[in-house]
Order: sequence, then structure tokens, then C-alpha cells
Amino acid sequence: MAKEGKKSSTLDEVIKELYLCNKCGFCQTACKVYKTDLNESFSARGRVQLIKGVAEGRLPVDEGFRDAVNSCLLCQECAVACPSGVKPHELVLAARRYMQQTEGLPLDKKIILGTLADPFRRKVAFSTARFLRNNVSNRIEGFNELKGIDVRGMPIDKVGFIDQVPELNKAQASKGRVGFFVGCFINHSLAKTGHAIVKVLNKNAIDVVVPKKQLCCGTPQNAYGDFELAKKNARKNIRLFKDLDAVVTGCGSCGAMLKKEYLHLFADEPEFLPEVEAFAQKIFDFSAYVMHEIKLDPEKFKVFNHKVTYHDGCHMARGLKITKEPREILKSIPRIEYVELREADRCCGAAGLFQSYFYEIAKDISRQKVQNIENTGADIIVTGCPACVHRIQGSLRLAGKEQKVVHLADLLAEAYQ
Amino acid sequence: MLTQAVIKDLTAIVGSKNIITNQAGLAAYGYDATLMSQRPVGIVFPRSTEDASALVKYANRAGLVMVPRGAGTNLSGGSLPVENSLVICVSRMTRILEIDPKNFTATVEVGLVNFDLQEELEKHGYYYPPDPASYKASTLGGNIAECSGGPRCFKYGVTRDYILGLEVVLPSGKVIEVGGKNFKSEFRYDLTRLLVGSEGTLGLVTKAILRILPKPFAKRTMLAIYNKVEDASLTVADIVAAGIIPTTLEMMDNLLINTADEHVKLGLPRDAGALLIIEVDGYEVDLDNQVRLIEELCNKADVRSFKVATSQAEADQLWLARRTVIGSVGRRRPSYSLQDVTIPRSTFPQMVDAILACSRRYDLPIGILAHAGDGNFHPLVLFDERDADEVVRVHKAEVDLIRDALALGGTMSGEHGIGVLKKEYLDLEFTDVAIEAFRKVKRSFDPTAMLNRGKIVDIAAEG
Repeated sequence: MAKEGKKSSTLDEVIKELYLCNKCGFCQTACKVYKTDLNESFSARGRVQLIKGVAEGRLPVDEGFRDAVNSCLLCQECAVACPSGVKPHELVLAARRYMQQTEGLPLDKKIILGTLADPFRRKVAFSTARFLRNNVSNRIEGFNELKGIDVRGMPIDKVGFIDQVPELNKAQASKGRVGFFVGCFINHSLAKTGHAIVKVLNKNAIDVVVPKKQLCCGTPQNAYGDFELAKKNARKNIRLFKDLDAVVTGCGSCGAMLKKEYLHLFADEPEFLPEVEAFAQKIFDFSAYVMHEIKLDPEKFKVFNHKVTYHDGCHMARGLKITKEPREILKSIPRIEYVELREADRCCGAAGLFQSYFYEIAKDISRQKVQNIENTGADIIVTGCPACVHRIQGSLRLAGKEQKVVHLADLLAEAYQ
Repeated sequence: MLTQAVIKDLTAIVGSKNIITNQAGLAAYGYDATLMSQRPVGIVFPRSTEDASALVKYANRAGLVMVPRGAGTNLSGGSLPVENSLVICVSRMTRILEIDPKNFTATVEVGLVNFDLQEELEKHGYYYPPDPASYKASTLGGNIAECSGGPRCFKYGVTRDYILGLEVVLPSGKVIEVGGKNFKSEFRYDLTRLLVGSEGTLGLVTKAILRILPKPFAKRTMLAIYNKVEDASLTVADIVAAGIIPTTLEMMDNLLINTADEHVKLGLPRDAGALLIIEVDGYEVDLDNQVRLIEELCNKADVRSFKVATSQAEADQLWLARRTVIGSVGRRRPSYSLQDVTIPRSTFPQMVDAILACSRRYDLPIGILAHAGDGNFHPLVLFDERDADEVVRVHKAEVDLIRDALALGGTMSGEHGIGVLKKEYLDLEFTDVAIEAFRKVKRSFDPTAMLNRGKIVDIAAEG
């Protein structure tokens, strides 16, 4: 049901920023969804103007509005392009928050976000998905994809990474110690990447602590406006890593959430904020940690005869602002041929739940990524985000391509062999 | 509101994915880059000339006024919907039909974004000279409708100079082709040049044959910084008087230097009165001499610093600052009124003085941006649309700026067009007889004003 003209504090808080947009339209080129669908409601400018309409009571929250707001990738490209300094993704978050508060989340989203936030339910969900995939969908001839997602090829680990390793993973001659924030994707579907991160750190004399009780970082809940649930987990995560001086992440989205978004999330709790700031300070993306804190020795790498390119995840590039480190590391590996990918830092089409709710647009975006990869001639695509690994690998596989997509840690672990 | 029957008929033409009738969608197509807004009753996306022709024929039968639209970045309200109108948005007609370097032409569908064409041409070593500041977002269709200019105009001319042929759906729905691939074609009458800049009031352009050029062998991009805006304007007059034709000669004043630098973070001196971005292109051997001459003229006008960009990246950053400067003023005040008055080049310093006086007269910040080589000014009057008193003063300032330009022998619109924004000032520049001639042109194409009604001139609908 449409709710006409209802104002709320969430949108009132951003009204000033809504007025900053002078509708020049320069964000259109930065908005991958717009460039693919070419519909103004699905552009950054369109979303900002519609949110302004709702905030001023001129527009109802209806299906068209929800679609406009939910079709945002939160890739933050528009914010970089905006001459006026508008941050459309933050306005989209405020609008999603407003919808969550005024009409609640739709049931499917509520279940998904709640499941991801709860370790037990999450474990059951991934096991069930694995069971169904292995025993049902894989037995159906021709059932390869679901809404553009590579169901057959998607790895799901039988036992999550966190349950596969001890809490303390000691290096041979230990010189330091870090915590490892694993994240849902590495835990349940890229355990090998989890092991690779531990291996690379151990090889460089760093002990790795994997706290068993760590929870989802909160990205999915935050993205759809359920700040309470995101905060609940965030608070626990912050306390869980309290005694560690450095925490490594292997996912751009988790990293940006822990390092940047937690500060927004707790902006209204000044008494807790210092603790959040201290936590944010010690978060390192894997690439930044190995490059700046332990300084890899390329002498120890084996010769690596591959043509490699790099895809920046959105949250890695614009959330954490990490773009140089992975490239530098890759180029330091002997004999590797590094080629730059066109539109390397543009969304691959995954964007969390976007890929299933707007799968036709997502498929188109992924198709562009696959084409750009083809044009490089690379046989290995490296990235720092597990969600991108799955999306790009799946899209390549569904297109019948042979290229392999790996996490930076996977490649480094192999280089150490 | 469209009836279900009309929606069904339109859907039959374009398919369900190419029609929008929900409230949010209508609101999203109810604005352009001006402050005005008016929701349409529907938006349709033709995918081909056949679609467009069928839509126009149907809209005529259904009595729906049509508003052509591309990316909606225009600055005069030309693509703004009118009451009870159907937006025909060409944004999904983006194919490049041919790039023909041997004949220096490219044939495109008009929903293609200017920048996307440039990227494709680059692969062939070519480019398309008209480059409005909005070129990353604006469509070629929009550029054609407004006869867009851009920084390169001084040397290379405007959109009209690069359109060899058009495919046009007339307001009746019939399709005609005008012009062609030939570099010379002396048709009487030259409908191509009449259609370019007609703001979608005479026909809906669907395809265009563009003139493209090989990329210049070499370029030099210079940045001259001045203590006073008057000094910069003296240099402009001197360069023109010396017979030098740079590719571009762009001016930004102190206010705009500050907002642009906040966005692009170039480290421009925030206390400078004005800067000029000067670019020359051509054969490598010719350029150093031109740069030297320009430097001398800058020195003569007390330039504070003069610098030649040492890399393409450095030049690109300067251009990014220039191209995004209009949007960047949002960092000062939420609204702006942007003019595009143009005066004979030699009177450049007088127009600068007039703008400064206008700013003082109405106590409004006015940023001075100019395609200085063309005598084309973009005074940016900054205000807050929620402040009624300011809005009144802005309106007065707009009229004064137009009067000032006309007094210098100039024109009210160099490149943004009349649209609805400047319609009320038309009689300041044109006699009644001239305006009636405009109406006659409109009537001969579109007697019942079905296409982009109420833009440029009003005609009494003779339905």
C-alpha cells in the first residue's frame, strides 16, 4: 500500500544533502545500473530526486519508488563523479532505512538478512543449499543457473572455515599476531581462501587468531536499513577483537563495513564511539597488511607464468580506497604478466542481493565485465572480494569461458609453493 | 493520466519494458538540469526509427503532445515535459551504425552519449569536435536539438558545423532523411541546418550522420592564473586581437576556482582572481611558437603564473575541473541560474564588468565562467530556491544580464537554447516580425504543435 507524504526523521536528517543535487546529470555515466538500463529512475540523479520527493511529501512510497531505491548497487561511483559533493549512496541508505522503519522489510529480505546475522541459522542455510544443490538441482539436466547465478559451479563448503581451523594458527618463528575477520562468504564458500590468508601470514611469521564467535559484519543488514540488527552484531564483533592490535579481512565489503560503516552506525552513541574508532583503526585489508605491515619478499615466490588482471570490488576501491596495493603486489611476482582491466573498478553485477532482485540488469552488467576480461587476454582474474570472485567466475563459466577468478591470497599462497 | 487502453496501445508498439507510467517514473522524467519541473503522463522508449514513427503517429491520433528527450541534462527547459505530455525518450537508441574514417563520417542513433562515441572514435584515431561540458552524460540527440557548443568551439565550431545528415520523424509520424554523407551538398532548402538547434520542435531526430576529424598530432594545454579577473579578460581580448586561434580559451573566476578545486582537488590557488585554460593543437613544430606568443600576451596582462601542462594526465585534470565546475557550485548554494549570453569577442572585458556590476546591484554571488574565445559567458547566479526574496532578485539579474549582452551587440543564447526558460525574453532580442517568422517555421512543420509544444515560441494550436 502506498503511504502518501509521510515524513520521518531519517529523511529529515538528509534533507540538506538532498538539496545539494542540482540535477546536472553527470552521475549518469557513473551509474552502472543507469548505463545498462537507461532509465532515469534507476540512475543516481533519479534516486536522489525521488527520495527528495518522498522527503517533501510530494511522492508516495510505492513499488516504483522501492525499485528505484533498491536498484542501487551502493557502488559509490556516483559520489566520486558528483561535482556538488552529493553522496547518493548515503541518501539511498537513508531511504532504505526509512522504508524499513515505516513499512518494514519484505518477508524474503527479512529472512535472508536475519539468517545471515545468526551463525546457527546461517550454517543450516548454507548446508541446506549445498544439499539441495548436490542432490536436487545438479541432477536436473540443463539446470545451470538461477537468475544469472551459477548454481552448479558455486562452491559451498561442507564445513565452514571457522570450524576447520583452530583459534590460534601459529607461524613457525612468530614475529607478530593478527586477528582474522573471516566473513560469511569466505567461511562458507571459500574456505580455501581462508586457508590461503592464514598460510601467507604464517609464512611471514605472523600468528593468526580466528575468534570462533565472530559474526556477520553487518553489510547486508546495513544495506537494507536494518541498523538495529547490524548494530547488535557489530557491538559483539568489536568486543570480540578487543585484545588484538590488528585485524585482517579478506573481503572488501566486510573491510569497508568494519573500518568505515561502523563509525556511521554508531554515530548516535558518543560514549561507545571511541571504542568503535579504535576498532576501525586496526582493520586492514589483506593486501594492505601484507604490503605495508609485513613487506613481502618476492625472492621467495616461484616463477608464475600467467597473464593476470585485477578487478577492484566497489567497496574495496571506494569504501576502503584500496587500489594500489593489490596491483603492486601482483606486479612484484616474478614473470607474471600484468594487464590492466578496462572499467576495473566498476561493479561486476553482484552487489549483494541486487543480483537476484534485479537479475536481468545484473546479468547485463556481468556480461560487460566478462567482455572486458576477454579483451585483456588474461587467464587469471584476481580480486579482493569473495562476492566478486563468485559472480565473475560464475558469469565466465555460464558464458563458457575458461578463465579462473581467484582471491589475491589464493594467488599468493600458490606463489609460495 | 493515461487510460488503460492508451497504455495497452503504446505497449503494443514498444513492449512492456519500454513504457513507464508509475508515479515514481513520471516524477523522474519530470525535470531536467533546470529548476523547473512538470510530470509527463507517460514515458516511452523507442528502440528504432520504426518505433518512433509508430509512436508519433499514435500520439497524434490519441491527441497526446510529445516531448523528445535524451539524457535530460539540458539547461533551458527544452526537454522538460509540458502538461499532459508523453515523453519520447531516445536514451535506448544507442547504436553506432557506422564509423567511416575514409569519408570522415560516423552514423549513429541519437540516444548515444557524446562521450561513448568519442571513446569508440578514439580507437580509430578520430574524434567528434563538439564537446559540451555535459558530454559524458548528454546524448547526441540532445546536442543536435540544442546545437550544443563546448570548449573546442573557438577553433572548431558548434554542433551544426558537424551534422551532415539526419533521419527525422516529422510531427506527423512520416520519416524523412535530410543531407547525407557528402561533405558538400547544396540543397535548397537546407533543412539539416534548420533542424539542428530547433530544440525538438520541428521533428524527432532518430539518426545522424556526423562529421568526424582525425585527432590532432599534438596539443599544448596552458594554465594562466591572474590576480584580477579584469587582467584575464585583457589577455582574452589580446589573444583574439593578435589573430591567434586556440582550440579553447576558457575562463573561470575566483568563486569557481574555489568550488572546482573542492571537487577535483588540483591545488589551484584559492585567492586567485581568475584563471584561463588555453589549449592549442596542430603540428608539433608549430606549437612552441604559439605557446611563446600566448605567454607574452599573458605577461603583458600581469599574469601571476603561466604554466604548460607537462603530461596528458595533468591536462585531463584541468579539463575535469572545467567540465564539472557548473555542478560544483552546489557546494556554495543549492541553486543556480545559468545564462549563456554571448557577445562579440572584442567586447569581452565590457561584459565582465557588466557581470561584476550586476552581482553588486542585486547582492548575489555570480560566478563567471566563459568560453572566452567565443565571447560566450556562463554567469552562474547562486541562490537558494527556497528563499523567495532571492528568487525575485535572481530573476531581475537574469534580465539585466541579457540586456547587457544585447547592448554590446550580443545574443541571449550562445548554446543552451531558448526552451521555456528564455522564451519570455525573446522580444528583447527579436522584433515582432522576426518572432512571427519563427512561428511560421514552426507551423509549417507542426501546425498543431504536437511536438515539444510551448518551447521557443507559442503558436495557437490550429487543431
